[in-house]
Amino acid sequence: MWTQTLFQYRLALAIGASAAGVAVSWMTATPIGLVAPVAAIFLFARGGAVAVLFSVLAIALAGLVIATSFNLGGFRDLTLTWAGFFVVALCIGAIVAVSATPGADDHQTAIRPTAQKVAPSYPVTGPTPEEKAAPRQSPIVSINAQDDEITAELMLAASFWGGSPFHLRYWRNEPNGNCRWTEVRTEAFHEQNGIRQWASVSADLHGQRSEVPLPAKTASSPPVDDDAVIAAKFVEQLLGNAWAFDRSGRPTYLTPFAQAFVSVTLDEFQAAADEGLSFFRRTSHPDEYDHIDAAWRHSLRTGDPFYIERRIRRASGIFDWNRTAIVPTRDGHGRVTGWYGASMDLDAYRVAELALRERERELSQLVDMVPSHLWRLTPDGEPVFYSKRMVEYLGQDVADADERCIGRLEALIEAIHPDDAAKFRSVLDRCLLTGKAFSMQYRLRRADGIYRWMSSRAEPMRDQDGRIVHWYGLCHDIDDQMQAEAAIRQRERSLRQLVETLPALIYCATPGGEPIYRSQTLQDFLGLGLEETDETDETGRPRLAGTLDAIIHPDDLLTVKERYGQSLSTGEPYALRHRLRRFDGEYRWVETRAAAMRDPDGVIAQWNGVCLEIEDQVRAEEELRQVHDRLARASQAASLAELSASIAHEVNQPLAAIVANSHACHRWLSAEPANVERAKITAERIIRDANSAADVVSRIRALFKRSTESRSATSYSDIIAEARQVMADEFVRHSIHLDIEVANDLPLVKLDRVQIQQVLINLIRNGIEATDSNSGEKVLRIRVLRDEDVIRTEICDRGRGIACPERIFEPFYTTKDRGMGMGLAICRSIVESHGGRLWAQSNEPIGTTFSFTLPIEAKAV
Amino acid sequence: MTANEHIVFIVDDDARLREALIELLASHGMNAAAFGSAGEYVRADKPNMPACLILDVELPDINGLDLQRQIVEGDHPPIVFVTGHGDIPSSVRAIKHGAVDFLTKPFNDAELMAAIHAALDQDRERRAELAELNELRQRYLRLTPREREVLALVVSGLLNKQAAAELGISEVTLQIHRRNTMQKMEAASLADLVRMAERLEIPITHSRRAGGERT
Repeated sequence: MWTQTLFQYRLALAIGASAAGVAVSWMTATPIGLVAPVAAIFLFARGGAVAVLFSVLAIALAGLVIATSFNLGGFRDLTLTWAGFFVVALCIGAIVAVSATPGADDHQTAIRPTAQKVAPSYPVTGPTPEEKAAPRQSPIVSINAQDDEITAELMLAASFWGGSPFHLRYWRNEPNGNCRWTEVRTEAFHEQNGIRQWASVSADLHGQRSEVPLPAKTASSPPVDDDAVIAAKFVEQLLGNAWAFDRSGRPTYLTPFAQAFVSVTLDEFQAAADEGLSFFRRTSHPDEYDHIDAAWRHSLRTGDPFYIERRIRRASGIFDWNRTAIVPTRDGHGRVTGWYGASMDLDAYRVAELALRERERELSQLVDMVPSHLWRLTPDGEPVFYSKRMVEYLGQDVADADERCIGRLEALIEAIHPDDAAKFRSVLDRCLLTGKAFSMQYRLRRADGIYRWMSSRAEPMRDQDGRIVHWYGLCHDIDDQMQAEAAIRQRERSLRQLVETLPALIYCATPGGEPIYRSQTLQDFLGLGLEETDETDETGRPRLAGTLDAIIHPDDLLTVKERYGQSLSTGEPYALRHRLRRFDGEYRWVETRAAAMRDPDGVIAQWNGVCLEIEDQVRAEEELRQVHDRLARASQAASLAELSASIAHEVNQPLAAIVANSHACHRWLSAEPANVERAKITAERIIRDANSAADVVSRIRALFKRSTESRSATSYSDIIAEARQVMADEFVRHSIHLDIEVANDLPLVKLDRVQIQQVLINLIRNGIEATDSNSGEKVLRIRVLRDEDVIRTEICDRGRGIACPERIFEPFYTTKDRGMGMGLAICRSIVESHGGRLWAQSNEPIGTTFSFTLPIEAKAV
Repeated sequence: MTANEHIVFIVDDDARLREALIELLASHGMNAAAFGSAGEYVRADKPNMPACLILDVELPDINGLDLQRQIVEGDHPPIVFVTGHGDIPSSVRAIKHGAVDFLTKPFNDAELMAAIHAALDQDRERRAELAELNELRQRYLRLTPREREVLALVVSGLLNKQAAAELGISEVTLQIHRRNTMQKMEAASLADLVRMAERLEIPITHSRRAGGERT
C-alpha cells in the first residue's frame, strides 16, 4: 500500500522538478534547467529505456564535442554550452540510474518477508490421505484474491528456482462463481541432472479451515545472542523452518511455521522439556519414538550430529515423513554450546519412493512369476541377471560363476548342450557385434542334468545415443512342444515313407483336380515334380489341363478328361485304364484309381489317387488275345481243311465204289463169254452207290445253302424211322440199345427232310459216342412228343456229360479228339432256321439230354 | 497166273468199297479177302502164298500207316495204299516204309491192277529168294565144323597154303576139306561158293595179304 503512495509521490515530485527546470532554462536561456526533466525521465526509465537515454545523450555529446573541436558553423560558445549540459545530464542520469538499482533489490528481498508473512496467515497443515488422492490442478489457476495471486507467484518462483517444496492454501474460484479453500503441495523430484519434475497435489479443504486453530504463536523471548538461535535463524531464512536448542536439548527457538506445523508452541515444548520429556515426544510417531529418543540422547551425549528420517505428527494428527537434521554449535574450545536444526518434509518423496518400491516389487514379482526365464546381459554379453525361475532351472545364479572362477557367460554356455553350444556362441557373438536381436533354439541343461529345448530371444536396450546399455533376454521352455513336433514329424515321415515306398504311383489333388502332391515314385516315373508344372504353363492353360496334356497319351486324353471331370463334379470314385507318359517319352499302360477324401461335413477336401502300372498285364492280355485269335483262325482253317477232307471222304467213298464196280461190270461183260449175272449185280451196286453219293452232295449243299425251298409237309415219324435205319449199323457195332418212344398224334410238319435228318443223325451219333465212352449200361433214349404247338425231340445219353451246355453250340467247339466242332453249331442253326430251339442239359446222375423243338406251323424264315 | 497162286487182302472200313473191290478183282480172276478194320486183318489166318495188301489209310481202329509200321518188321505182303484224300507227307512216309504204291480214291482199274501185279511179283520174288536162302542154309548146316572153318578162310581169298598154316593142317588135308565143302554146298566154282557165303553172311575174317595175319 505504501508502495503505491510512494510511487504517486515520486511522480508528482518529478513532474514538479521538470516543470521548474524547464522554466529556469526558458528564463535563463541556458540548457542547464533541462537537467531536471532528464533526471525525472531517468528516474522512471527502466531497462532498455535507460540504455537508449544514455546512448542518445552520449551521441549528442559526441556530436557537440566534434562540432566544438572543428568550430563548425561558428557557434563555438553555443555548442560548448550544450556539451556542458549533456555532460551534466549524463552524470545526473548515471547517478539516478545507480540509485534506482537498489529499488530492484527491494523487490527481491520482498519475497522472503512475503513468504514469511503468508505462512502464518495461511497455516500449512498438510493434506489428509484423502486430500492427497484429490485431482491435481495447476496451483496458480483461478486464485481468488489479487494479492494472494502475487504472493503465490512469488512463492512458486522461489520454489521453482530453489527447488524447495511449495505449499500453499488459497481461495480457488469455481466456475460457478463460488470460492473454495484449497491446498496445493508441489514437490520437486530430484534427478541426476537437476530438477526434472514437479509433482503437485491440490486438495479441497473446504470445511476444514475453521477447525484449524490460529497459531500466531511466537517465540517467547528468544536469547538473541545464542549461537544456536542465530544459526537457526539462518536456517529459517533458507528453509522457512528451524529450531534451536540449548546444550541440554531444551528448545530455545522455534519458528512460527514449525510451531504451526505441529500445533505445539515453543512454550509447550519448553514446558515438556522441563518435565524431562524429549523434544520429539510430542511430535514423533509412537512406534518410532524410542528409537528416535535413543538417537537424540546419544547425540546430546556425544555431540554427534543428529540425522534421522521420521514421521511427524502434524497439527491435523496426520503423520508425515520428514527428515530431521540437528547439528551442534560449538565454542572456541570445541564444546557444544547448543543445537540447531530443521525438518524437511519428505512425505511426497517418501510416498513416491514407496510407490516406486511397490512398482519395483511388482515388477520383480512379475519377472519371477512369468513362466519363462528372463535374463539380462551387459553389452559385452556378460550375464548380470537371471530371473528366479532361471536360477532354479539352471541350479546356479549369475554370481555362482564368479566363485568357480570362470566367466559368467562361460558358465551359461556350459549348461547348453554341447551340440548347440558352438552355434549359441557364434550367434550371440554376432548379435553382440551387430546389435541385432538374438533368437535361437537350443537345449539347456536343467539342474538335474536333463537337457530341454529352449527358445531364446534377446533384444538390446539402447540409450539416447543409440549405445547398447543392456541386453534383455527371454528364454522359453519349448521341450514338450519340440517333443510333440518331433513325434509329429516322425509320424509324418513314416507316413510319407509308407506312401513313397509303396510300389504304386500316388498323387493328391485339390477338390478342383489340381495336383498338389506326387509321390517320389510318380515323380520318378513322370520325370517331373509339381514345381515344374506351375499354376499356368507358358501357354496360359491351367495346370491341370497342362499336366494332363503332358502326361496322358493323346488317344486317351479325351476319355481321361471326360471321366476325371465327371468324377470331380459328382464326387464319384474314378477308375480308368490309360497310357501315361514316362520320363523317357514312352507311354505305359496304367490303371488310375482315385477317390475323394471328405471332411466331417462331407465336403470334398482332397482327391487321393493311385496309379498302378499295368503295362505288363495289358501287354500279356494283348498277347494272349492275339494268340487266341491266331489259334481260333488256325483251328478254323484246320477245321475247314478237315471239313473239306470229310466231305471229300464222304463223296469219294461212294465214287470209289462206283468206279470199282464199273470196271468190274465192264470186265464181266467183256469176258468170253460175258458174265451178265455178275454184271447186273455190279450195275445195281453202281446205281445204289451213285444215289448215295448224290445224297451226300445234296446234304452238303443243303447244309451250306440253308435253303427253305425244299421244305414240305412231312411226317416227322418217318424221318425218325429213317434216321434210326441209317444209324442201325452203328448201334449194333457199339452194342447200344436204342430206346425210342414216339408219340402217335404227331401232325405233319413243314421241314427240310435232309436237314432235320442231319440234325437227328448228328445228335444220335453224338449220343452213341458219349454212351460208348461209358462202361455202364449202354442205352440211348429218344423221345418225341407233342408239347402244345411244338414237337419236342429228346435224345438222352448216359455218357460222361458235358461241362458247359451252352458252349458246345459254339462253332469249332469240340470235346472230341477228332471232331471239328461244327456239328452242333450247324444243328442249332438248322433248328433255329425252322423256328425251333435246340438246347442241352445235364442228366442226373450222368449223361446229357439234347432237346430240340420244331413248331407245328413252321414259320417261313 | 492162276487163282490159286496168290491172294489179295483188302482192308477198308467202307463196306461198299470192299464189295466193289472184291467184284473187280474177281472180274480179273483174282482171289481177294476183305476186312473192315486193321484188327480183323491182323487176327485173320492168312494162307502161305504170294499176296498183296490193299490198305485204306483211314481206318476205324488204327491208321493204315500205323498198321504198316507195325507189320513192316515181320513177314508181310507188299502194301498198296488207297486213300480218300492223300497228302504228301503220308504218301512219302508210306513209300519210305516199303509201300508199292499210294493211290487216291477214286482210282482207275489199270492203275490198281498194275500196282497189284507189281506187288504180287515183288512178293513172289521175295518168296523165291527166301526159299533159295533156306536151301543154302540147309547145305551149310550139313558142313562139319572144320569144313565151315575152311569155307570161311577160302572165301576170304587165302591160298591153300596160307589157310592150311592158319588151321595148322597140311595143305593136302586142306584141299580134301575144300573139295568136300564145295560138294556139300553144291558150288560149281569158287566164285559160286563165295556168292553163297555172301548170302549166308559168312564174315570174311582173313586177308591174303599181310602173310595171313589176322587183321
